[in-house]
Amino acid sequence: MTEQPRFPHREAVDFVIIGSGSAGGILARELSVAGFDVVVLEQGKYRRTHEFTHDELAIAFNHEYVGGPQGGDPQTFRHDASDSAKVADFPPAYYARMVGGSSVHFSANFWRLRPVDFHERSLLGAIEGADLADWPFGYEELEPYYTRVDWEIGVSGAPGPFDAPRSRPYPLPPMPVKSSGVLLEKGARKLGLHPQVAPVAILSQPFNNRAACVHCGFCMGFGCEMGAKSSTLVTMIPQAEATGRCEIRPQSTVHRLETGADGRISEVLYYDAAGGEQAQRAKAVIVAANGAETPRLLLMSASARFPDGLANGSGYVGRNLMFNAHSVTHAWFDEPLHDYKSVQCSRMVHDFYESDPKRGFYGGGAIDARPFLSASPMLFALTAMPPDVPRWGAAYKRALAHNFTRNMVLAASATSLAVPSNNITLDPAVKDRFGRPALRVTYRDHADDLAMVGFLQDWAVGIAEAAGANKVWRNPIQPETIGAHLLGTCRMGDDADHSVVDRFHRSHEVPNLFICDGSSMVTSGRGQPTMTIMALAFRASQHIAEAARKGDI
Amino acid sequence: MPADRDQRSIDPLRRDFLRASRQVAGLSLLATQFPGLLAIAEAAAAAHAGGAPFLHLSPAEAAGLEAIAARIIPSDDTPGAREAGVIHFIDQALGDFMAESAGDLRAGLASLDALAAGAADGGSFAALPPAAQDELLRQVEATPFFELMIYLTVAGMFALPSYGGNRDYLGWALLGFSSSHAWTPPFGHYDALLAGVSPPAAADGSGAAGHAPALGHGKAHGHD
Repeated sequence: MTEQPRFPHREAVDFVIIGSGSAGGILARELSVAGFDVVVLEQGKYRRTHEFTHDELAIAFNHEYVGGPQGGDPQTFRHDASDSAKVADFPPAYYARMVGGSSVHFSANFWRLRPVDFHERSLLGAIEGADLADWPFGYEELEPYYTRVDWEIGVSGAPGPFDAPRSRPYPLPPMPVKSSGVLLEKGARKLGLHPQVAPVAILSQPFNNRAACVHCGFCMGFGCEMGAKSSTLVTMIPQAEATGRCEIRPQSTVHRLETGADGRISEVLYYDAAGGEQAQRAKAVIVAANGAETPRLLLMSASARFPDGLANGSGYVGRNLMFNAHSVTHAWFDEPLHDYKSVQCSRMVHDFYESDPKRGFYGGGAIDARPFLSASPMLFALTAMPPDVPRWGAAYKRALAHNFTRNMVLAASATSLAVPSNNITLDPAVKDRFGRPALRVTYRDHADDLAMVGFLQDWAVGIAEAAGANKVWRNPIQPETIGAHLLGTCRMGDDADHSVVDRFHRSHEVPNLFICDGSSMVTSGRGQPTMTIMALAFRASQHIAEAARKGDI
Repeated sequence: MPADRDQRSIDPLRRDFLRASRQVAGLSLLATQFPGLLAIAEAAAAAHAGGAPFLHLSPAEAAGLEAIAARIIPSDDTPGAREAGVIHFIDQALGDFMAESAGDLRAGLASLDALAAGAADGGSFAALPPAAQDELLRQVEATPFFELMIYLTVAGMFALPSYGGNRDYLGWALLGFSSSHAWTPPFGHYDALLAGVSPPAAADGSGAAGHAPALGHGKAHGHD
């Protein structure tokens, strides 16, 4: 094993990367392999694969991975700018703080965007109340990088009838179909739909010296103790460290990017594990801290030269936050599904991916079969009972005992429109444990987003009934208060007045600042953005390395 | 605070533990202290398995809270909150991640006891027959206190036994959830049917209890 280098703080390292998640892990690996010296500053701990557990109370309820007010990381939430934001118990910008970031705790549903996602503004025109825009490039530009993601990290799947063109097949066969997948297929086919394999970034077979999934079922929200989930923790970061040119500094919480008289970033200021102030000089900085923390850091880095936040001359830093809209439909069946076993999702329906003017509203999305929050006992008991079952007593107990194994969820994921008033800002009153202004989330779904997930819920009810469910009910559709997909807040574009970074992820205003994570995404896709974030990171790495070789950073 | 709480003896070790956990709970860096705290809690759990005295609750408080938990998940033809040791989970949690809720919990129980004292039979909530207890609980059903009791009962029933409840995995056995680290297909009835093989044996109400915790389940804490 290569020993990690220890780069001196007062000498400018080639790159400081802030964040080690889906994007940061890939950027670290690509740039260190390309020969550059890289320091990765990660606010979370360096947790190793063997340390991951099935401790539902600690992970799902006591925020072991995601921060929260108890751990000194409060975030505030409000629906509208006219409300005063309140400290939320569950972090509204819900992401994992650890080396590997949210790629460690995500469910690993893994979709590519499709051509339509890149140019819907041109196709559909403006939408009232939204800032819908085209990406600066199309699907064909990103396709080679999606394929790199497939083969670099390991993805299990099979092509579906509506998929975008792909230049190579999946590297691994699909995961075994679950009972929930069989039932989704049955119901969907009866209704004339085209169910397909749900691709996942989880290994169905051994791959690149990593073990295959053992179907323990603790994917969503948990770290994989087999290393079978293709997080950057087990794929990219070990390879970055093996170069001997990449230093991962966990528990390093950045609070400011300092700029010099030349308008370039000179150093990155952060708190170390002991709370001590540190500074790391760098030739260039890449912010990959996710769609919530990235804009927060830029806003915290305001200066006389950048009064509204670093790289925020356009006002687009933090703006247009997109979560992906969701709806949840529950179904109980006569026989046990044991849907708590194996990956969350084995089958999905993508018939409604495209927006259709006949519906009367904008949007597209998908329906998949999975346990969702009922994969583990506490979440099931607290969130998955129908409204006509009492909340306590003998009838509650009977319903728990009979239905834990017989339960499934049809989850709908859909578009979120970019709405300028949905944003990340700095809370004016609440501070975190380091005294930094708390992250403030303002979010109200566009009416079309809620209409779309309602439309999908109608179909989900139909699918469950056609599959033979003995009971079907809907979670009420309400405006979202928590988002695990943090997208759009440092939009990429050619026009410096309406975006934060250019098509190569370089800030329009600060030449040695690059931003690459969910914040770069111009549209939300239909759900499951991680694969796109990873593809963008591979693409960005290539362009950033080329620029650096030319001395242009 | 009930009188019997003041009268109970607190040995020095317990007092130190109480003081330590309260101090830590007051810090904003609570999360970074979790592993150490939980190690203490695990040791306490071992000492308290099987109805040992309580760390944080007086006997009367424990009796009252256990009576409530036993109405939320009652004991009938299968074990309920009482047999799963939910009250030991609550006792432990109050010295740890639920420390801030201790006051609310005691106040809620006091209100319920006051209601019980005003009822025809008089006495504490715990002393009432189940039907009368249910009657009173319906009156407080919409309170944050009762919400908290539902949460604590569910957590005490289904969280890892190292937290003090879910004794012998009784909670998981109730659901048919098993503590196996690894599964192989077929997973359920419908995929087995498709594959033309026998479905896996139903684990409902049996099977999980008494399993030795497998890799990844038993090691609840000490991540760091």
